[in-house]
Amino acid sequence: MEQNGRLTVLDPHGQPTGIFGRRLDAQSKPGDILDPVTQPTSELKPASLAPRLDALDGKTVYLVETGFAGSFEFMTEMQDWFQKNMPSVKTVLRHKRGTMFTDDPELWAEMKSQGADAAILGVGG
Amino acid sequence: MVTARFANFVERDARARGMRPRFSYPPYPVVGMSRAVLREYIEGNNPLTARPLMEEVIGALTQPVTEEEKHPTIVRKPRRPRLVAPGTGEDIYRQFVENGWTDGLPIVLPTEDRVAEMLTGTDHAPDEVVGRMLITPQQEKFEYTVEKVAAIAVMAGARPEHLPVILAIAAAQEPSLPSSTTSFGRMVVVNGPIRNEIDMNCGTAALSPFNFANSVIGRAWTLMSINFGDARAGETFMASLGHNLNYNNMCFGENEEQSVFEPFHVQKGFRADESVISIFRGWNVLNFGIGPAKEMAHVISTFGAMGPSVTFVVDPLVAKSLRSEGFQTKREACKWIVENSKVPAGHYWEGQQSGFAKRLAEQGVEPFASLAKQPKDALIAPRHSPDDINILVVGGETNPMWITTDFTYTRSAAVDKWRPKCGIRRDEKPLRMPAAVTCKDGLCGIP
Repeated sequence: MEQNGRLTVLDPHGQPTGIFGRRLDAQSKPGDILDPVTQPTSELKPASLAPRLDALDGKTVYLVETGFAGSFEFMTEMQDWFQKNMPSVKTVLRHKRGTMFTDDPELWAEMKSQGADAAILGVGG
Repeated sequence: MVTARFANFVERDARARGMRPRFSYPPYPVVGMSRAVLREYIEGNNPLTARPLMEEVIGALTQPVTEEEKHPTIVRKPRRPRLVAPGTGEDIYRQFVENGWTDGLPIVLPTEDRVAEMLTGTDHAPDEVVGRMLITPQQEKFEYTVEKVAAIAVMAGARPEHLPVILAIAAAQEPSLPSSTTSFGRMVVVNGPIRNEIDMNCGTAALSPFNFANSVIGRAWTLMSINFGDARAGETFMASLGHNLNYNNMCFGENEEQSVFEPFHVQKGFRADESVISIFRGWNVLNFGIGPAKEMAHVISTFGAMGPSVTFVVDPLVAKSLRSEGFQTKREACKWIVENSKVPAGHYWEGQQSGFAKRLAEQGVEPFASLAKQPKDALIAPRHSPDDINILVVGGETNPMWITTDFTYTRSAAVDKWRPKCGIRRDEKPLRMPAAVTCKDGLCGIP
């Protein structure tokens, strides 16, 4: 619409929703497409960071390989670093099941039941 | 741990979710690096802070949680205004380009009157929410209304007659620009009566830029993905090379009239008289295949792909040839092709170094786990089911050839719900490019 040589046009950008994608099915195939209709629509709640450890000596740290190509080798090298530089830290190297895009609640539950003190997830990208 | 290349990406995403995870950033890339290089990464510095990486990792696990980390706030994106601030056409055009709201090619500015005219292409209310889209699986979705889709349709150069198809694509809520470093390409196929009502090209050169409807519909999908999916190169869209198909996607109508097989949408459970869009996603497009089903099986046995899917885009002459080979349906042909495209197991696994199959096999997921147990010289089928193979018929019967893609079918969406009750809103003199010249006497054969 033009008035006095000036146009008014519509903003083409979508509106933010506060709704984020979630991988509800940890076993879904890489080629599967999320159905947005089934996504949670509740407002997000901020998530506080868990308390930190005083020190890692004598603690169990899970090294979780997330599935990106090269991650396993990277986390293996990190495990070697701990053994060489901080031998008092017990490390457990684990694959996250599925792919880099899938959640693995079973692994998180297992870590809690096995007394994991901390976890390092990597490597994304 | 996230590679430094993606620091902005993950931190922005975390803030938007109300989280303050402690990321540590090794150099990029990790994929394909030798163990010696990875060791150097770990023993070296975070390239963003120039501090020892493992010192930061230990600190992330042991330094007390700050107040901000205990009580993070959600950084919300502001709602968008309905209108852009008034200005001269030249200034606003510049704004659209510089804001990254276009594909870099000329657009039609979506003025109120143009959008109002576009909205005559449907009976749906302008403020009706059509869907939500995002180009990554995890980031915030953007919502769009019928009016927003109409604005995009104007930008793409479409007319009201195209709006029902563009709305159907919007309602599928799948961006044409999925953000993957691997750089996806996309395809949208239209079936049913709407193809002819808006004069889509299903025949000669249907995949080339010679048809108005094919062009503006395919382009509208990309413009929707940019603006509704919030696609910004290097910010949210992380494709390393990108994909030339992203400009317009592969957009065409299936040549139902010349095909001896059932239309694709009928295969997916729709009636033949329904109008439907179907969406595909993949990476590779291998042009020029020729020959019988045996050749199709041969090509896909050597066609490297991250996933198991293959979609053949075939000329109607190829469909007729497959029928003459004895295949009564697409599925019969696909079943035969799957069973006859076997490769030595060793060759298959060598090609899966960056694919998902190897990882899934290691985790015991079938059929990959069983395939992994086969000796290297055992012949195995990389595609496991006829459902992994699709056949789409398009083209003008000037050559019995087919295109091989690794595209996966993702979903279909109905067009008819978006039609106006009074019928497709055509211009008094519809805008058309020259139609492809076709054989009208039925005498054309294989050259």
